[in-house]
Amino acid sequence: MYAFQLANRYLTSRIIPLIAVAAVALCVALVVIVVSVMSGFLDMLKSSGRTLMGDVVINYPVRGLPWYDELIAEIQALPQAEAATPLIDTYGLIRMPYPQGGDKEVVTANVWGVEPRSFERVTDFTKTLYWQPPKDEAAAQAMRKEDPRLQLSPQIATDGAALRQSGTNEPGMVMGIHVSIVNERQRDGSYRNRFGWFMPDQRVTLTLVPISGKGTVAEPRERLFPIVNEFRSGVYQIDKNRVLVPLSEAQQMLRMDAGLQYDMDAPPNADGSQPVLGKSPARVHRVLVRAKPGVTPDQLRDAVEVAYDRFQLKMLQDSGKIAKPPRRDMVSILTWEQHLRDLIGPVEKEREMMRILFSIVYLVCAGLVLSIFWAIVQEKSRDIGILRSIGASRPGVLWIFLQYGLVIGAVGGVVGVGLGWVVISNINAIHEVIGEDAPSWSWIGAFAVAAVALVMAVRGALAGSLLRSLLWMVFAVTLCVAGAGLIAHRGTLIWDPAVYYFSSIPDKVDWLTAAITWVGAVVFSVLGASVPAAKAADIDPVRALRYE
Amino acid sequence: MSEAPLLQARDLRKTYRLGRVDVPVLRGADFSMKQGEWVAILGSSGSGKSTLLHLLGLLDEPDAGSGGLWFEGNAVAGLRGGARNHYRNRSVGFVFQFYHLLPELNVLENALLPCKVAAGITGWPAARAEARERVSALLQGFGLSNRMQHRPRELSGGERQRVAIARALSNQPRVLLADEPTGNLDARTGGEILDMIAQLHRKGLSIAMVTHDPAVAARADRIVHLVDGKVAG
Repeated sequence: MYAFQLANRYLTSRIIPLIAVAAVALCVALVVIVVSVMSGFLDMLKSSGRTLMGDVVINYPVRGLPWYDELIAEIQALPQAEAATPLIDTYGLIRMPYPQGGDKEVVTANVWGVEPRSFERVTDFTKTLYWQPPKDEAAAQAMRKEDPRLQLSPQIATDGAALRQSGTNEPGMVMGIHVSIVNERQRDGSYRNRFGWFMPDQRVTLTLVPISGKGTVAEPRERLFPIVNEFRSGVYQIDKNRVLVPLSEAQQMLRMDAGLQYDMDAPPNADGSQPVLGKSPARVHRVLVRAKPGVTPDQLRDAVEVAYDRFQLKMLQDSGKIAKPPRRDMVSILTWEQHLRDLIGPVEKEREMMRILFSIVYLVCAGLVLSIFWAIVQEKSRDIGILRSIGASRPGVLWIFLQYGLVIGAVGGVVGVGLGWVVISNINAIHEVIGEDAPSWSWIGAFAVAAVALVMAVRGALAGSLLRSLLWMVFAVTLCVAGAGLIAHRGTLIWDPAVYYFSSIPDKVDWLTAAITWVGAVVFSVLGASVPAAKAADIDPVRALRYE
Repeated sequence: MSEAPLLQARDLRKTYRLGRVDVPVLRGADFSMKQGEWVAILGSSGSGKSTLLHLLGLLDEPDAGSGGLWFEGNAVAGLRGGARNHYRNRSVGFVFQFYHLLPELNVLENALLPCKVAAGITGWPAARAEARERVSALLQGFGLSNRMQHRPRELSGGERQRVAIARALSNQPRVLLADEPTGNLDARTGGEILDMIAQLHRKGLSIAMVTHDPAVAARADRIVHLVDGKVAG
């Protein structure tokens, strides 16, 4: 009881423990902020990776997999698989409708040919469609008020989901929100049209380059697509580069649709044409598979590998099919995590490195607590002698200082987690403020307060108090430096979405890390306190009580 | 047959090490006091009188191989750990020249400290009310009723020493061990403190008091002279 009372009094009756609390709090906040952002980044990467490509990807680029419908049927028979969808993944050129008159802009794009219905079952891509019809009249009016062009037809969402323009029944294209330059991102994360353009009113020309069966480039093909909607996955690189078109259109343009295969080595027929070998199947570059709930991507991948072997065997045995699927070792069958390994791996390593680096922060905490307590024990050795003289045990004295460290760690940790939470919750706003030049009132204010502090310093000097004068002086100089820094500050874009893939910084606290960090702060504060506490317990009461 | 002495020491030796030099402070001191007795240990500076008091209160340990120490007939010199703490907490009460109050605690909290140590963290809630009442009464008896909530730095020297005595008595020890209790006070205040000690003595408290001042020692029932680490005469 006395230990608690004394620890409490030692804590509240002086300023130095508050410095220790502040230091622990800053250390904890630092760890919580950095690890939360990195964990959030990783989570975003992983979850978006999953929603963008399902759980398992069968990849056979360029030439493409034949008989994919049979493969998908084989996969869908698996108890582990929820759905599978074929996919064309290629690159193409898009001629934009802007600028008005003159040469139109041309951009490169990652073109995905998808079968909307099964693609939706694997990836939930309709959830990423950005333009949605207003829910009610009030929302519609608000939308029109903000931008008169936003007369969104009720069909815009269903058109996007079907990749088809309902009015003309033409196959349509869904673009990433950043593919065109007309969508300007607002602070709240919504988009505004720039230059008076609204992409879902426009048509673009897509050019794809087919690769022949011999692996050579064939005549490029062009096609006009109406834009039916735009999507925002949250992954900047994807939103900037990817467009979706219907699978059959992409296959046709790439000459990967079904057709007749001619025997080019045989002598020509009488009419000059080559003899037909058989039917050439449509091909796709990828098959995406989604796992049933509760099935891990790894389990699904193993099952899909077996299914692929079965599929290949069937095709080999089917003499009616002249094109044979490649051997399994030629095809990559990967979970989405393996597929994104290049992206996820470095971030995971970075996070681990951060954790290791920040364990040094704990040592700083422990060292700080140790040195502060050492001084306090030194100063309080007489009190400790008194306590021993009235029968306090050595563990009792030890406990005073351990408790002291416990409280500093616990309180500092809570304050630090709170601070981290505040910063993380507002990190995008803070980022934007850093991204702009400092407003003039900030440095004017800093200099004004510095001037007042200077006056106080002079007054302190005149009153003969050197310490007071000096403290004000330090304060004034600090403010001047801060003011100069604010003047010199030019907007810096720290989180570049083009580098970090996501258009906003993750702003959720990683509570597990926060809890672990808090525990770490407590443990290391107690560890730091344990050395001076042991010294306190070892104090010889006679020596401590000897005349002053 | 006479009763066992309250406190008895035989052939106590204590040597301090100062750097490389051994400084013998006690060279075989004998001491004995009866229940209810007020004994003054008189000696000049460096005679080892404080060390003797510390040994009697088990605050310090005699050299290995020196004689023994008995409290109410029981050998206590060999006590270890918890038993030593218990002895310091319950059987004796220390008063020092420089009061040695804890500056962070107020008067009542200072005086209650030994009770808290005695009760421990689990026993304190149950013991609290009784201890507060008893110690408050003690402080009131010492004329400190309006000083309970004050911090030590707000008190005069005499008041501080009275708080220190209240603290020493808060667990109702069998003997008060006072080390120059008036050494830091002016003559008048010192006299008041001695009057207070005398009053406690009249009520039956046993007191061992160390002093270098023969006038102070004269207030006691009996004077033990300590010269060069031995009891003289």
